[in-house]
Amino acid sequence: MSAVKRLVAAALLLAGLAFAHVGSLDVYFQGNAGPYRVLVAIRPPDVIPGIARIEVRALDPGIDRIELTPTPMTGEASKHPPTADAAQRSAADPRYFEGKLWLMSTGAWEVHVRAFGSKGEGELPVPVSAVAIRTRPMQKGVGYFLFGMMLFLSVGFVAIVGAAVRESKLEPGAPPVASKARVFGWMGFTAAILIAALWFGKIWWAGDASDYARKIYKPLEAVPTVNASQMDLRLSDPGWLEMRRLDDLVPDHGHLMHLFLVRFPSLDQFAHLHPEQTSPGFFTTTLPAMPAGHYRIYADIVHESGLAETAVGNVDLPDVSGGRLGEDDAFSKIPDPDSAIEWARDPSQPITAKQAALFSFRLKNNDAIEPYMGMAGHAEFMKADGTVFAHIHPSGSVAMASMTIASPEAMMAMHQTPGQLVSFPFGLPSPGHYRVFVQIKHGGKIDTGAFDFDVQ
Amino acid sequence: MAASIAFDQTALAVDRAERTAIPWYIWLSVIGVTSAMIGGHWDISWHRSIGRDTFWTAPHLAIQLCGIIAGITCGYLILATTFGNSSLRAASVGVLGFRAPIGAFITAWGGFTMIVSAPFDDWWHSAYGLDVKILSPPHVVLAIGMFGVEIGTLVLVASLMNRASGARRRMLLALFLYVAAMILVAAFTIIMEYTGRVMLHSAASYRAVCLLAPITIAMAPRATGDRWAATKLTGIYTVFLLALEWILPLFPAQPKLGPVLREVTHLIPNGFPLLVIVPAFVLDLIRPRIDRLPNWQHALIAGTVFFAIFLAAQWPFATFLNSPAAANAFFGSGYLEYFISPQSNQALYRFVQFEKTPAAFRNGLLIALACAIGASWIGLARGDWLRRVRR
Repeated sequence: MSAVKRLVAAALLLAGLAFAHVGSLDVYFQGNAGPYRVLVAIRPPDVIPGIARIEVRALDPGIDRIELTPTPMTGEASKHPPTADAAQRSAADPRYFEGKLWLMSTGAWEVHVRAFGSKGEGELPVPVSAVAIRTRPMQKGVGYFLFGMMLFLSVGFVAIVGAAVRESKLEPGAPPVASKARVFGWMGFTAAILIAALWFGKIWWAGDASDYARKIYKPLEAVPTVNASQMDLRLSDPGWLEMRRLDDLVPDHGHLMHLFLVRFPSLDQFAHLHPEQTSPGFFTTTLPAMPAGHYRIYADIVHESGLAETAVGNVDLPDVSGGRLGEDDAFSKIPDPDSAIEWARDPSQPITAKQAALFSFRLKNNDAIEPYMGMAGHAEFMKADGTVFAHIHPSGSVAMASMTIASPEAMMAMHQTPGQLVSFPFGLPSPGHYRVFVQIKHGGKIDTGAFDFDVQ
Repeated sequence: MAASIAFDQTALAVDRAERTAIPWYIWLSVIGVTSAMIGGHWDISWHRSIGRDTFWTAPHLAIQLCGIIAGITCGYLILATTFGNSSLRAASVGVLGFRAPIGAFITAWGGFTMIVSAPFDDWWHSAYGLDVKILSPPHVVLAIGMFGVEIGTLVLVASLMNRASGARRRMLLALFLYVAAMILVAAFTIIMEYTGRVMLHSAASYRAVCLLAPITIAMAPRATGDRWAATKLTGIYTVFLLALEWILPLFPAQPKLGPVLREVTHLIPNGFPLLVIVPAFVLDLIRPRIDRLPNWQHALIAGTVFFAIFLAAQWPFATFLNSPAAANAFFGSGYLEYFISPQSNQALYRFVQFEKTPAAFRNGLLIALACAIGASWIGLARGDWLRRVRR
């Protein structure tokens, strides 16, 4: 395997493991475009520059038209949007709109969803991260066709040169006079030039592929050090673009990092902690009383550009006696018999991969739902094999810090008094067995419920 | 004796067939070449003004039309000559069992290469993203195909021109110079990233021009024997570029890709033509004095003259072109792409310091001089062959 192929393969593996959410690039977002509630799904391209697909479902009636505009989230370019694109309205489902947009550079972007209708117009900015995650391989058919044509055109070129030497200067009808040695000499020389040109092309192609492979997203690694009930975490950059820094993190609903520890593969211990930054790239936190085991680490952070990332790692913990946790920290054994959370689900409705859906939960008791870090609840979706992990809010999969950078006004509008039902818009990236951890605060305590389900 | 009579008869048959008007396949090939050149410049302008495209944009179709016209026209010509009762059979060459004029084979080869570049480019975009540069492997495959069509058409015209006389020869000469000018347009399109107005005080710019332009400028007079061939073909190039420079901005366009750093309301043209007509005119003037020299001596003088005169003409003109004084509809220096930032060299009319040291600049110019001499020699050799091609 060539160095380039190894690099690409490694990048593919890592990209599959983590991004702003692990194993799930798509953005799901529920919000208000002026007077209209909309559910937006953005499916970013896996190559940059590339085409993102945007799906908008009107949750309120009255929308006649949706326009979509992409801009970088920050910087001068964010002030100069291109001409808006009209999303196509579905003939079968008039509340469903679909569009495509080009994301031209790596980094934090936002898609401005502008709704027009009977109640006027309104806009909802939806943050989306644009990063290259893989190099798409060539389809076999295309590969065979191109290789065949390369051979045909190469042979044809040499034959044309031979004919040019042998006959092109003859008067019409005159017999060939050029010696075979001269003809074959030119053909051999041409073949040598062609082989050299094709070799140069191969080197050029490999160089471009290597340059591109360097742009493929590589997640931060979370490297833990445990001392009794204290865990230090170092964010290690495996080398990606120079634009990624570790001294530019911004708080996401009050914390620079949201750290999740999940015992693997049983998924029966779950901690949601908020380490303090000691210096750029270095964090520390007190662990709760946790049983020994192998734990997966998922650490959500947001850069000042609005780019959200999840650092990933593993840690083998001994029995931890535990220390005093922060006010927003939570730990739970799964299943928790004291949990009052139940899933308001219609079991007859299957859950399908890549389809935006609302996952709704409520309390079995009569407690009022209290805001938990400004939200009615938090949900963490995890695939049983650990390849998917996503931290979701009632507004969707966008980090709140990114939303604040994109539109402080829209962010403010999201802070609402919780009702009786907490809904999370999300779409699972692939079929398989999943567990969702749902965290709702009530009675002054953070309750963690866990629910298993299959995705088709 | 029998062979001689047969040869005379076939030659007469070809002669009778060729006394008529210019063949349809020549016109179609010339239309294809023109379509590709307009499409190429239109496409670059599209990317500078609108940004986003698909394979099915009008400029892309105009480019691919060239490959389709060339492939079908010359493919038919090859089949008709091979299997039909074509008068061209006597004036044909054999390639892999097929027979046709050599130019038809080259043109068809170029057409197929152009068509093959389309799925390659499409896959390239899906694998590595949209390329925002002219020189990428699939684009070079397309350019090689385009050159194949142009050179094939030139050879087709040359083979007829070399057997023609009178008004027909004059018409074919005009077509030859036109196609040669289109080759110059294509060559300058390939190196456009090095010849923008902000690059014209760098050695890299002159190296790129000297690597390509003297081939065509030395080839055309040698192939045609026309006294002002170099001036005429560079004149056609200049007029073609000026037409694009003045016509493209008449069409409305809006950026559809972000970031949009400046307002664009119409297609942005690709820049004022290079002043290659000046050294071409000087070369035409001195050619009677050097044309009988061996090719290497001719190339030594012609290459040096091209380099020196082009540098002398383009350098001071670039000073004007890269200034607000040229920011008008005639010279077009005020047209800026939607993605040009206010701090960029283009916006500030500032030259790019491509070579970081005076030594690198001096060496770059010396390489440009060597390129001009070498390219002139290649052009003369190709001209010699084109003058003698009969089939």
